[in-house]
Amino acid sequence: MVTFNRRQTLGLIGAAAASSLAAPAIAKNRKVVVGALRFTSHSGSFIALERGYFDDAGLDVELKFFQAAQPMAVAIASGDVDYAVTAMSGGLISLADKGAIKVIGGALSEEKGIDGQKILASDAAFKAGLTAPSELDGKTYGMSTAGSSFHYMGSKVAQAEGVEVKFKPLQKVGAIIGALKSGQIDAWSIVPHIAKPLAGSGAVHIIGNISDYLPGYQVTTVFTSAKNASDERDQTKDFLAGFGKGVSDYNSTMIDKVGGDDGVNAMVDLIHKYVYTNRPREKAAPSIINGTMRINDGAKLNIASIRDQLEWFQSEDLVGKDITLDTVVDGSYVETYEG
Amino acid sequence: MADTSTSHNQSPPGPIEVRFRGGGFAPRSRRWVGVVVFVVLIALIQWGTQTGWISPLTLPKPSDVLATFGELWESGLLFKHLQPSLTRLVVGAALGASAGIAVGVLIGLFSHVRAGLVPLVAAIFPIPKIALLPLFVIWFGIDEGSKYALIAFGTFTPTVVATYGAVDNVDRSLIRMGQSFGLSWFSIVRKIVLPGAMPGILSGLRISLAIAIILLVAAEMLGAEYGIGAYILEAGALYDLERLFAGVVILSLLGVILSGVIGVIERRLLGWRT
Amino acid sequence: MDIRLESISHRYGDTEVLRDISLDIPTGQIVCLVGPSGCGKSTLLRLIGGLERPSEGRVLQLGSSPVGCLNPLTFVFQDFALLPWRSVKGNISLVLEDHGIRGAKAKATIEDVLARTKLSDFANALPKQLSGGMKQRVAIARALAVNPAVMLMDEPLSALDSQTRELLMDDLVSLWSRQPFTAVYVTHNLAEAVRLGHTIVVLSRRPGEIREVVTIDTPIQDRSAGDPVCQRKHDLLWELMREEARAADEELIDG
Ligand SMILES: Nc1ncnc2c1ncn2[C@@H]1O[C@H](COP(=O)(O)OP(=O)(O)O)[C@@H](O)[C@H]1O
Ligand SMILES: [Mg+2]
Repeated sequence: MVTFNRRQTLGLIGAAAASSLAAPAIAKNRKVVVGALRFTSHSGSFIALERGYFDDAGLDVELKFFQAAQPMAVAIASGDVDYAVTAMSGGLISLADKGAIKVIGGALSEEKGIDGQKILASDAAFKAGLTAPSELDGKTYGMSTAGSSFHYMGSKVAQAEGVEVKFKPLQKVGAIIGALKSGQIDAWSIVPHIAKPLAGSGAVHIIGNISDYLPGYQVTTVFTSAKNASDERDQTKDFLAGFGKGVSDYNSTMIDKVGGDDGVNAMVDLIHKYVYTNRPREKAAPSIINGTMRINDGAKLNIASIRDQLEWFQSEDLVGKDITLDTVVDGSYVETYEG
Repeated sequence: MADTSTSHNQSPPGPIEVRFRGGGFAPRSRRWVGVVVFVVLIALIQWGTQTGWISPLTLPKPSDVLATFGELWESGLLFKHLQPSLTRLVVGAALGASAGIAVGVLIGLFSHVRAGLVPLVAAIFPIPKIALLPLFVIWFGIDEGSKYALIAFGTFTPTVVATYGAVDNVDRSLIRMGQSFGLSWFSIVRKIVLPGAMPGILSGLRISLAIAIILLVAAEMLGAEYGIGAYILEAGALYDLERLFAGVVILSLLGVILSGVIGVIERRLLGWRT
Repeated sequence: MDIRLESISHRYGDTEVLRDISLDIPTGQIVCLVGPSGCGKSTLLRLIGGLERPSEGRVLQLGSSPVGCLNPLTFVFQDFALLPWRSVKGNISLVLEDHGIRGAKAKATIEDVLARTKLSDFANALPKQLSGGMKQRVAIARALAVNPAVMLMDEPLSALDSQTRELLMDDLVSLWSRQPFTAVYVTHNLAEAVRLGHTIVVLSRRPGEIREVVTIDTPIQDRSAGDPVCQRKHDLLWELMREEARAADEELIDG
């Protein structure tokens, strides 16, 4: 009766996180399943697959798409997915603590001077004087769940400004956007490719940048199952190599514009195969270009930011106080830095 | 009577006691069996998690769940979470159930109302109420309003269906008796139809209130800082199995208590049943 | 108050149930309706009591109700029709409450009818605690409480075993002899009819028509099981009914 296996139990949690779990994959003969969300920030994987960098590394990669980061993390823990990129969160740390997953590299990070995540205010709150993060005192702040990256960001901003905010868990990004537009919540922070169109519509206002408060914030990380990290070192290295090439292409084309406009256009074409697929190319292109953020070259990992996040989650009693950085991170794969 | 040749071979059989073939099919109260099942199950899980046969990713240690529960109690967080949840449950279920009973009685009594509302109720019954949560947030606000509305809406439809079914099942001969004694329409409804429908209404309430508990978690998905449902959702997001199970146990206990309360009400109100 | 039926006919859809029934029910008498099952006895009673409207004909009340009468036409049902959630007392007060009788006045009435039906000790019992015979006595007490002009009794003893039936017949006889009441008493049991009826109306099988009206002059308190007059009436009635009963029975079998 009690023979729940890991997959079933995690499936249950996944269901609680209001999403579905992908079908199990056959992880044999160098076939590797990579989890992804249809976001611009996952372009590294798309490019590596499209341009054959994974093939070059000797991997037969299958992309598995998810609706949200949480079930993807669950799928990694259950072994249905091998590698994925997702935001640091209490859930991820907790899974690491249970010996299920390891962070092996960095992806998206905040950098002063480069367009990063935006702090938003609802129109109603803005008109009532919420024009800067310093005015956040007593305001409501949207987040998906406690222990999410939104929770971390909001809390850090409030801490820096010496104000108190009330967090409203709304589970899904869509629900947060709806609540912000209708003025049910006052503030939120989100990646620029979502923030800018929202602000453009006039329903919300950008009142600050996360990078001003969390310079070097390691937003998303590359992670895998603890088993892959320890037992499949070659495969993991190969994955990071292929992924790293994809990221390099992305940064050089989209940020450094090495290939000029033609390069950007070709890259937009490629990304459009995966992101905003329900929109025509001309409508998708501005969103893709707007959403450009630097992804860490070579999947470098800002270990100082990870440490700060871990400590914050611990101070909020969201994860166990005895969890060490080594439990969460396997720093042997990529270059780490203190940023 | 038998002829002699056979009477020698077949001596008459000795007395045989009639084999018992009745029994069974009569559920009897054996409370302790349920307890034993629980204890054995929990002991098995405890043993499994202790020895590592069940990984910590699969199930939490029951003793850890208990410890989490103890912490909840000691820190006072338990009541911080229980109080808003119970308020939501009570307000939402009271609204939904009383509206449901009222509409159900009207459907049961008036054929025009029945013709008009039964299809409507049938149409809204299968809607997953959770799907309407974002809409409720816009209609009733992100605070308590939408939570009350969701729970009320969820309890409303099953209560309506149970109530008009119960009214339909009221013994017609009792109503005919009331009429034959010249009782007013209102008296017949109040003194014959409603008490006669009470058993059906109460058993409908059992189901409605269980649904209310289920919807509590859904209602607390949006914008709830405190509440058992919010606690469970947060634990799920953090993969904190101890808290997840502690929360689930609280919900189960809530269900058991509610069902017990209805049992008491049934015994008090329906003592007349044979 | 007398009741007069003027050529009553009744139909349910295409089924003709009653045909041209004319009958007088005089004050202070018990009129028994007998007939094979399905001939429309209960239907006729419902028509008299105003629970249904006849397809043709009229039911007339002649004269005024006795003083203190709350419900002139009062039923006693075969299945008792007691509210299971009310005590014996509560079941009787149910029919008083709506006529504005409460408190001391109600209490007096209830005590009176309970005493007359020998139920005083069971005032607070619930119906589920009572035997069938007791339940029917409660129903009779309830009917008496409204001081009816006419009691309409639909096979009141049919759900009871034969011993209980005997006892209850004795009770009805003594009730009537202490204070005569008017009643239409439906039964398919000839012994009951012969025992209780001043007039016995024999209906034919469906559609029910009056076949015969038999009167018994022996005062009902003087009738007994072996009484030769009663026995003769019983045999006569059986002769009248035998054919009808058989035909009705076969009709059912033929569908
Ligand atoms: N409400 C009704 N609708 C249709 N048919 C009915 C109804 N009530 C009685 N009947 C029919 O009328 C006939 C007489 O019924 P009833 O008066 O109950 O007979 P009895 O009491 O003499 O046995 C039966 O054939 C019965 O099926
Ligand atoms: Mg009948």
